Amino acid sequence: MAPRFEPLIEQHHDEIFAYLWRLLGKERRRDGAMDVEDLVQEVFLRAYESFAGLRPNSNHRAWLYKIATNCAYTKLRQMKSRRDGLLSLETSAAGLGAANGYSPVRKNLAQRVRALVNGLPSRQKVCVTLRYLEDLDYPEIAQILGCSQESVRANVYQAIRRLRLILEEE
Amino acid sequence: MTKHDPKDQLAIAKHLRSALSAPADTALAHSRARVGKWFAEEAPLIQWGEMSSPLGPLFAAVNRRGLCALDFGRRESDFLNGLDPRARLEKNPKAVQHVMAQLREYFAGGRSTFNLPVDISQLTPFQRRVLEVTSHIVAGQVWTYHRVAERLGRPHSSRPVGQALASNPVPIVIPCHRVIASNGSLGGYSGGSGLKAKRWLLRLEGAL
Repeated sequence: MAPRFEPLIEQHHDEIFAYLWRLLGKERRRDGAMDVEDLVQEVFLRAYESFAGLRPNSNHRAWLYKIATNCAYTKLRQMKSRRDGLLSLETSAAGLGAANGYSPVRKNLAQRVRALVNGLPSRQKVCVTLRYLEDLDYPEIAQILGCSQESVRANVYQAIRRLRLILEEE
Repeated sequence: MTKHDPKDQLAIAKHLRSALSAPADTALAHSRARVGKWFAEEAPLIQWGEMSSPLGPLFAAVNRRGLCALDFGRRESDFLNGLDPRARLEKNPKAVQHVMAQLREYFAGGRSTFNLPVDISQLTPFQRRVLEVTSHIVAGQVWTYHRVAERLGRPHSSRPVGQALASNPVPIVIPCHRVIASNGSLGGYSGGSGLKAKRWLLRLEGAL
């Protein structure tokens, strides 16, 4: 029996929104045009356009996450290229204190975890978010990212290894 | 803690959840409403209704072009799952009341043809041609699959004709039940309870 599109909005909107919210992290506030809501709208628009070609027995949740991940990558790339020119000015103004990785006031654990996740390479960030915050399993994440399960596991491992270092400091 | 320890996994997830803020409920609700509004404007609307009939519960659905689906003797969910999966569904008895009125007259023996616009645009050109020919078979008559194929200029296409009739989205209104096999058997029927329903309809029309 073919699934319907309309219930997918009700069933998955909130988690897709939360996923993009986390994925974009601090970026979402840096740029007024960078609005999670716009991105969520784009995800469902793209999903609707390609829905007819989807096999009835597909994993619709993983399919939506795949579209969301692609939308986020595209947006982040656009933002990065827009920002690169400005960044050189910002980093020189930030001074040497920030360059060695220590801020004058020691951050609390949550702040350090947040900074770590936001600073992860995008593939690691996506993998660890999908695995630990969106509760998708390794085969689903591999399907979303179009890579092997081993690659997903390696990316999650790298991210968690860094996270453990912070937790063990506590 | 080891990396495969479930407690460790839970602890990591907990730390991540508490560190990475979740969006506010108001932001979620606002976005959900926006996506819902977009869908309402973008997706084609299909309105449907239900009535009881001698062949069991009967469902009919209309879109802006006309009657697009009709079925009977099935569960509501099966009927709805068969409709265009990208469409927005709305249960609206008023939108189909003219369809139901004509069907009631038909079941009561007071009507043999239907005056309803139908939408079969989602079918292939061949399927549409088969249904077009079939729609001209008058009540009380039966044609064979072969005769329909001949009328289409494809006398060796009896089997594809049968397959095209099986794709009829509006049985009864397009009377695919009036097409039977050359050997006199009823052939097939995809509406309602299958051949039992086909026999019932042909008896109602005095063809059996």
